[in-house]
Amino acid sequence: MSGTLGHNPGESKVNVKTNLNFDFLILISVISLVFIGVCFIYSSNITSDGTILSNEYTKQIVWALIGLVLMAAIIMFDYKTFETFAIYIYLVSIVLLVITLLFGNVVNGSRRWLGIMEFGIQPSEFAKITTIILLGAFYAKNSNAMTRITTLLKGFLIILFPVVLIVLQPDMGTALVYFPIFLVMSFTAGAKVRHVMYIALVGILTMVLIVIPVWFRHIYSGSEAVINFFVDSRFYYIILISGLAIMAISLFAYFFTKKGFYYYYFTYFSSIIVISTIGAIIGKMVLKSYQIMRLVIFLDPNIDPRGAGWHFIQSITAVGSGGIFGKGFLNGTQSNLRFLPQQSTDFIFSIIAEEIGFMGCLLVFFLFLIIIVRGYMIAIAAKDLFGTNLASGISTMILFHFMVNIGMTIGIMPITGIPLFFISYGGSSLWTAMIGVALLINVYYRRYRFSLNA
Amino acid sequence: MGNGSDYYSNGKETLKVRIFAVIIFTLALVIFYSIYLYSIQVVKGSEHRERAVSVARRESVIPALRGIIYDRNYDVPLVTNVDSFAVDIIPAELDFERFDEIAGKLANILGIRKEDILSRISPRMRHQHRPVEIKDRIEFETILVLAENIDRFPGVVWRSKPKRAHYGPGSLSHILGYIGNISREELQVLFNRGGFTPNSEIGKMGIEREYDHILRGRDGLRYNTVDARGRKIGDARGNEAVLPIAGKNLVLTIDRRIQELSEKALGERIGTVVVMRPSTGEILAMVSYPWFYPNKLYSSAASQYFSSVSADTRFPFLNRNIQSSYSPGSVFKFITSVIIIEEELFPQRERIVCRGRIHVGDRFFHCHKRTGHGSLDLARAFAESCNIYYWTVGREHIGIDRIADFSRRFGLGQRTGIDIPGEVRGLVPTPEWKLSTFNIPWVGGDTLNISIGEGFLETTPLQLANAISMVVNEGVNYVPRLVKEIRDPVSGKVIESFEPRALNKASIRGETFRRTQEIMRYAVTHGTPRVVLTTRATQVAGKTGTSEVGLADRWISWFGAYAPYQTDNPDEQVVVVVMVEATNDWEWWAPKASNVIFQGIFANQTFEQAVAALNVWYLRP
Repeated sequence: MSGTLGHNPGESKVNVKTNLNFDFLILISVISLVFIGVCFIYSSNITSDGTILSNEYTKQIVWALIGLVLMAAIIMFDYKTFETFAIYIYLVSIVLLVITLLFGNVVNGSRRWLGIMEFGIQPSEFAKITTIILLGAFYAKNSNAMTRITTLLKGFLIILFPVVLIVLQPDMGTALVYFPIFLVMSFTAGAKVRHVMYIALVGILTMVLIVIPVWFRHIYSGSEAVINFFVDSRFYYIILISGLAIMAISLFAYFFTKKGFYYYYFTYFSSIIVISTIGAIIGKMVLKSYQIMRLVIFLDPNIDPRGAGWHFIQSITAVGSGGIFGKGFLNGTQSNLRFLPQQSTDFIFSIIAEEIGFMGCLLVFFLFLIIIVRGYMIAIAAKDLFGTNLASGISTMILFHFMVNIGMTIGIMPITGIPLFFISYGGSSLWTAMIGVALLINVYYRRYRFSLNA
Repeated sequence: MGNGSDYYSNGKETLKVRIFAVIIFTLALVIFYSIYLYSIQVVKGSEHRERAVSVARRESVIPALRGIIYDRNYDVPLVTNVDSFAVDIIPAELDFERFDEIAGKLANILGIRKEDILSRISPRMRHQHRPVEIKDRIEFETILVLAENIDRFPGVVWRSKPKRAHYGPGSLSHILGYIGNISREELQVLFNRGGFTPNSEIGKMGIEREYDHILRGRDGLRYNTVDARGRKIGDARGNEAVLPIAGKNLVLTIDRRIQELSEKALGERIGTVVVMRPSTGEILAMVSYPWFYPNKLYSSAASQYFSSVSADTRFPFLNRNIQSSYSPGSVFKFITSVIIIEEELFPQRERIVCRGRIHVGDRFFHCHKRTGHGSLDLARAFAESCNIYYWTVGREHIGIDRIADFSRRFGLGQRTGIDIPGEVRGLVPTPEWKLSTFNIPWVGGDTLNISIGEGFLETTPLQLANAISMVVNEGVNYVPRLVKEIRDPVSGKVIESFEPRALNKASIRGETFRRTQEIMRYAVTHGTPRVVLTTRATQVAGKTGTSEVGLADRWISWFGAYAPYQTDNPDEQVVVVVMVEATNDWEWWAPKASNVIFQGIFANQTFEQAVAALNVWYLRP
């Protein structure tokens, strides 16, 4: 696309507006969140008697500065460049994931890190962006075929490669992020609601089926007979066979009777059950029992207060003890006394809640809300479908991280090891978030079809 | 701009609606999170704040020093505390992935099995900061080895844990008892009393058990603000302590000189010696052989020692003075004699002819002298311990009811109430008892047996000593006591001292007792034991006993006596009861041992000095 001057009288006005509407609001929010992050990483690094245990906060400052440079660089390029090279960027990230899997550094039992010496990156973080770019480009290209299920399945294939590679690391939490991104991007790109619903229901039901036996064994306190039924290993096969039978009958009826409409939905739901059950059986084989336990424990952390429930109880205690205005910066007992696990990364929000209280939390919520809602507004404002899809995907990524991480620290979501963007300690996740926001700004900046900057 | 024409293919409106739906979801989520956060931070905030404080404050126990036990002289301790160490593991600081390997190395250093360590720590404890004791009573040298390699054992710590140490005669083991780790059942029972934790130690036997509440004191608590790794925060607020209160000291009635004398006099014979002061009930010495070594129970090889002692068929843990009962044999004749004198059923001067046997029912009962004692009155029959005399009088003139009644008046068949646990009742049989126990009616032969202290009658050596005390005191005896007074551990002041408490007051004439004393003295000077009771240090009055247990040529050897025979100062009198079980080779040892004990007590001599002074044939090497 080439900008043509003097196309209409309002043209010069548009150019001025473009420059003025560089999205400073979103940038200020990002910088505020990163600043809050550095402060509380410092708080988690220091003990109550003033001993500094770690210099994570200085590293985070360096990363944040580099991140700002990265953001500037990304804003320079027209985002259309990324659309053009989407497939190559995607392939590079897939190759990095494969290399990570083969040669990555093992941290806490999984290979997530790629790097030399102490400088390492987590390709699984950046792969989120590259996947969003490719998926956005793919949906933009097939925008007139969005109602077809085949388009959706091809889109699913795009996220499947990174997901499988990340699951193999294994890093369930990060892999999990791809599904909501895919669903929301498909939804906003114009896929049929029932197709999106179908995939969402399969995903949710698979998870539910995986945790059902554990839930009944550890948390449910009802009749013995009910527990025995759900805990029995034949439980899945009973459901699978029933689902298959209903599906076969419905399919038969769909094709050979006149009331096809009803049987379409019979088939729709029964096939969800069948696929979810198969997914659950596979999930049971792949997942370790402690991982499944983590998915359930948030429902009642007290069943294992010193084991899987420990993080929850400590985190909720920290959050709850904050009160309205908090205990004051650096004065948190739970964090400074190191009761909180992974406090600078996954549980950083607990420290914030403890030290600056409910009011501070509202501030953090508000800043996130600005970024996410602005992100979705940018998706509407974008001049083309790629821009829309890109903004939608990135906003969803930030939203989902926000939802899962904060939900985990306040005890209403399972512990998945997903960091809180902008705030949690870690270069890879910080850069991913900043690159994402840079892309949002980029889309917004070039939201007019005809402009000098384009 | 290839996509340009597709841009609105779904309709810009559809796109807007869908994205607005997502924005509404986002807003709803943030509002929900805010409300939820409000509920836990503001509504339930105080609850969480309390919890945060309790998590950060950790208490550690400062053990109270256990009281020291002295003998009646209150000079040298019998039991005290010496330095020792315990090794703990703090599970939260442990590297569970290498736990197996670490446990192996640690077990090597501590000299225990790896499984002992592994079984105490489970992965479920991995966030627990409360230390778990792995082993106690560790020598300083072992701790040195551990300290040199401590960097290889993260989460392993040690602390000083004083252990008990026994000094003085070994035969005190039954009286003093020992302490050990509290069992789950004991903890359940004692928990409500407060001050007990699963790591507490508790008296398991003897004085240590009976007076545990006095000896143990009260553990202190140190509150520390700690971080999640259990590390203390130096100057943090809220570091305070409840100081421990040391246990109180006990002074026993035992005289360790007499204890040692008695122990040596009995020698390595299964049996007992009890020496008591009849005027107060104080126990001066109490020996039960075999005994055990409490110090070995506090050593690093405690569990092996415990099992070997438990497996010993001679039951060294048994205090035979109070925990087992025996037929008193002929010693019992002093009670039969009291009945004869008191009830005037048969004139004391009237004689009965002993021909060596008597025919009752369908069988013959033999006197221990097969040829017969000839004609004897009460004093002579008592001195010669003639069974025929007592059988005849017992069956024809006294009857079982009177024997049972008088036995109870002397305290037989009931606990004496001595202040160590585990005492048994003994048994005073009656026709009703026999019928209800064996469903066999009482027969004449049973009365014959009980008249001479055989048959179903069973007493503990202590009961017998206390029964003799009643004769000495002429109508009263006291609850036997081992603890004389409780003293403050710091000032040494007497906090509580125990006054004699009457146990039995028999309504028997004093004259009867004086006559009984006479025949007991006569028995020593003219009767069976005169050849062995050679001591000149005091005037002994007593009675021998030889009770049958069913072995062909072995008997229980008894000697129950007191000295001096008559005195103006009742506080100098002592009762000595010696019992040597029939499992030993028969050597009629009880009166011989008593001879040495009386000599030692009244001449104020040690065993060796007493033996030298007596210079009798049976004590020569």
